[in-house]
Amino acid sequence: MIRTGFRVAARFGQHRALLRAPSLQPRLSPAPACGSSTDSLVSRFCPEKTDLKDYALPNASWCPDMLSLYQEFLEKTRSDGWIKLPSFKSNRDHIQGLKLPSGLAVTSDKGDWRIFTRCIQVEGQGYEYVIFFHPSEKKSVCLFQPGPYLEGAPGFAHGGSLAAMMDETFSKTAYLAGEGLFTLSLNIRFKNLIPVGSLAVLNVDVEKIEDQKLYMSCTTQSRDQQTVYAKCSGVFLQLKLEEESPQ
Amino acid sequence: VLTSCATIHRFIGTACHPIESRQMPGSFWEEEKQQSRRPFSFEKIVYKDCSIPNPSWNKDIRLLFDQFMQKCEDGSWTRLPSYRRGSTESIQDFKTLLRDGQITKEGHITQTNLFTRSFEDGLGFEYVMFYNDVEKRMVCLFQGGPYLEGAPGFLHGGAIATMIDATLGMTAIMAGGIVMTANLNINFKRPIPLCSVVVINSQLDKVEERKFFVSCSVQSVDEKTLYSEATSLFIKLDPDKSLT
Repeated sequence: MIRTGFRVAARFGQHRALLRAPSLQPRLSPAPACGSSTDSLVSRFCPEKTDLKDYALPNASWCPDMLSLYQEFLEKTRSDGWIKLPSFKSNRDHIQGLKLPSGLAVTSDKGDWRIFTRCIQVEGQGYEYVIFFHPSEKKSVCLFQPGPYLEGAPGFAHGGSLAAMMDETFSKTAYLAGEGLFTLSLNIRFKNLIPVGSLAVLNVDVEKIEDQKLYMSCTTQSRDQQTVYAKCSGVFLQLKLEEESPQ
Repeated sequence: VLTSCATIHRFIGTACHPIESRQMPGSFWEEEKQQSRRPFSFEKIVYKDCSIPNPSWNKDIRLLFDQFMQKCEDGSWTRLPSYRRGSTESIQDFKTLLRDGQITKEGHITQTNLFTRSFEDGLGFEYVMFYNDVEKRMVCLFQGGPYLEGAPGFLHGGAIATMIDATLGMTAIMAGGIVMTANLNINFKRPIPLCSVVVINSQLDKVEERKFFVSCSVQSVDEKTLYSEATSLFIKLDPDKSLT
């Protein structure tokens, strides 16, 4: 873990990584969000301590493939610079203390918001997923298991649910890699159907960042990579969040 | 499965009669005695049509709903019911229903229900689709609730992508029977505020053998804001081949 810490610190050259001995993955020390570097975005996104429930953790509905691939990636968070992203019930929980720029922020009297991909909280029925992010290589892997509520053709996940999972993985990748905030476009080619309850692996890469836009690609495959489910390219708009004024 | 689905499609065309706007029945429940898990006793399963106004529908969507119901009166437009089971029947029953081609006595099986089963009114997808068979056009009125959030205060890109896929897909299904999405291309122009109403206008552009080209736009109720545009390709399934 010490080796990883120095590797990370050397790459960014900005923040010292403080190491917590018993944790499962290397943690970066909390940094003020004045910079827009990936590691400051990551450290703010992944709070050290929180009472919030993390939905991106194994539960009884996860199929054996998903569990074992999860363990493989957990190993990579200890040695290869990967980070497991937490997944809270609402996106607002991920950006506490930050808000949309004043032209866009909307006030609402409603209290109960959920991020779309966590809208169904019954285990195994909707989107079961976890995203691993690699800060220096700017890429992500999402392990996705669609539940019966996402069924389209009998026994298979419908196209819209995969589109949503791709959009969500793009969204987190874009945010951490370069403050990407809004989807500009999605271009999806569906190849094969994903059986409900099985594992689909989404590999997302940031191809380039240019003109305030992040260009990403995604390939969704079976675990053994023998079946390609879909390929997609996505473009996100960069937009800096503002600090909420102290109250 | 496919043969049965084709049978159901035929029923969709004939059994989907427009509902008299003056005579809304008090309840859209097909009231039957509920029985647990008997796949072939369809008269015991309760179905609820979700594509009708409920208390969570705001005035924008209600107004448009009434306007389109008036257009249904002369038969040029048809409202598509969207059925979900009103109790805890398993997916297995529904699959059996499709597989064996048996349908409720009024032939009202249409679209998948976009996982709204566990939501109270207004929290997730509230929508209704109207179809014009002559023009091959579908209009979907959609109100996305607080469980569909992306960026704070806005609809998640994936939620509108799901709705666009559903609308484009239904347009293709009405024209060609059972189809699968092959390509989906969405351009997002402006983010959609949560709990607002949008109108998805889709039309069948072209048919080439088993390929169905469908496009749509997503606009505000007053048509002044264009939120997104999409193009897509759906492929009609070859009835002789299996799904995998």
